[in-house]
Amino acid sequence: MSQARPVPLKNIHEELSASFGEFAGWEVPMMYTSTIEEHLAVRKDAGVFDISHMGRVIVRGSDALELLERLYTKKISKTKPMFMSGPTLALNEYARVKDDEMLYRVSDEEWLFVPNAAVTKTMISYLESKAKEYGLRVEVEDLTDKYAMLALQGPNAVEYLSKIAGREVVDLKPLEFILGASIAGVDTFLVSRSGWTGEDGFEIWAEPSKAGKILRELVGLGVKPVGIAARDTLRIEMGFVLGGHEYGEDPMKYPCALSLRYGLGAIDWDKTGFVGEPALRACRKEGVRWIRIGFVMKKKHARFIPRESYRITVEGIDVGWVTSGTYSPIRKRGLGMGYIDVRYAIIDEPITIVDHRGREGVAKIQEFPLIHK
Amino acid sequence: MANANIGPATEYTCGASLMARYEVKVGSLTVVIDDELLYTESDEWISVDGDTATVGITDYAQKKLKDIVGVELPEPGDHVSRGDSVAVVESIKAAADVYAPLTGEITEVNEELYDAPELINQDPYGKGWLFKIKMEKKGELDNLLNHEEYVEKIKKES
Repeated sequence: MSQARPVPLKNIHEELSASFGEFAGWEVPMMYTSTIEEHLAVRKDAGVFDISHMGRVIVRGSDALELLERLYTKKISKTKPMFMSGPTLALNEYARVKDDEMLYRVSDEEWLFVPNAAVTKTMISYLESKAKEYGLRVEVEDLTDKYAMLALQGPNAVEYLSKIAGREVVDLKPLEFILGASIAGVDTFLVSRSGWTGEDGFEIWAEPSKAGKILRELVGLGVKPVGIAARDTLRIEMGFVLGGHEYGEDPMKYPCALSLRYGLGAIDWDKTGFVGEPALRACRKEGVRWIRIGFVMKKKHARFIPRESYRITVEGIDVGWVTSGTYSPIRKRGLGMGYIDVRYAIIDEPITIVDHRGREGVAKIQEFPLIHK
Repeated sequence: MANANIGPATEYTCGASLMARYEVKVGSLTVVIDDELLYTESDEWISVDGDTATVGITDYAQKKLKDIVGVELPEPGDHVSRGDSVAVVESIKAAADVYAPLTGEITEVNEELYDAPELINQDPYGKGWLFKIKMEKKGELDNLLNHEEYVEKIKKES
């Protein structure tokens, strides 16, 4: 813990009685009162997360768009100004995923993105080295320390935010963002209509002292502070993938990007010339062996909690492995996701989850999201 | 002295002047200790009544695990040896093994926990008990920690 960097708003989290944990080298608020209560607040009302551990990066220069087109699987040029691109993948040459990202188009020559905490430095040096390799005029700046980042999420997010922000913020369309808007009487750098919970909401970048003011105001209005532990349970219910769990760069450890079944238009097949394209097309031609599936524990094993690296078996044969799992406060059951041999990937069919002790629980393969939305 | 940082008493036994439970600060946690119980290094508590020992996990253990969402308990009639992994407590955070603190036969398990595992969070020394053992080797009780030794153990961990 001593090596972990505290998030800039740590003092406020302490006032809110957070317990802290380490995540990707950061000391983050893991939980305030109860992960289950915080999770349910986001699904039924609203919650606010401090996600300052995520990276904040600006890419600018006359060749910025050109660079991004060469590094991501989606047609970045289709992104409307002052909108986010929708999720897309940065691949390595094995068609394994370096990071999944949304690109914020300020203008052709100015883009922002939020790398996952664990790969912020890696992605910045990757963009810089690729720009150099291709001879492109691009400058990459790390804004991570300059701004803190909050996520207000939940069906009532709009209602709460409208008490401290103007229409220009509250009326943002999904994936639209605004620069320099005021919230709670302080300037923000950026506010976007986005999030990672499956609920409506906003993500706010602001200087730490200003983000602190906004956080206090939201909590004062009755928005529940939500820790990083609930962020994980929320994303697992939705089937959202996380680097180091569902994907990673190591081809011995992770199947190719196609197996990830990312969806959401993350890959444009009529796009050419991006890093990893040859391996990705080879993977498509050959067909995948592994495919990511979701599953929910059967009623009889509702309290069996699947966890990363547990085995998946069918008729006693090893057919896959769990990449993420948790207890779902909404379904009141264990659920999760993992990779399974495609021959056994049959929706609604049972699979057996086996833990390290040899305990077994029966689950049913289910399409994402794993809760009814 | 183990008692140096012990907080105020929170509960008094009726009529008696004896303090049954008290609070101890361990890192950021405030942990309730019951001075009438015995403890293990692996955070189980034991209450002895004749030949029968009731076993649960301590307030410190449940506070570290946080949201408890499932349990797996032994079957009545199972014979267990001291140190065997006999139960699992699942929280959102982790799955924790519970070890038999004593050798003997499981006589009863707390079936209420199957539907309401959160009782372990709410009342670890009461309604959150896990199982009962009919002891075969009463001498094994000497291996257990008293409340002061247990406080020293958890303070060392933090």
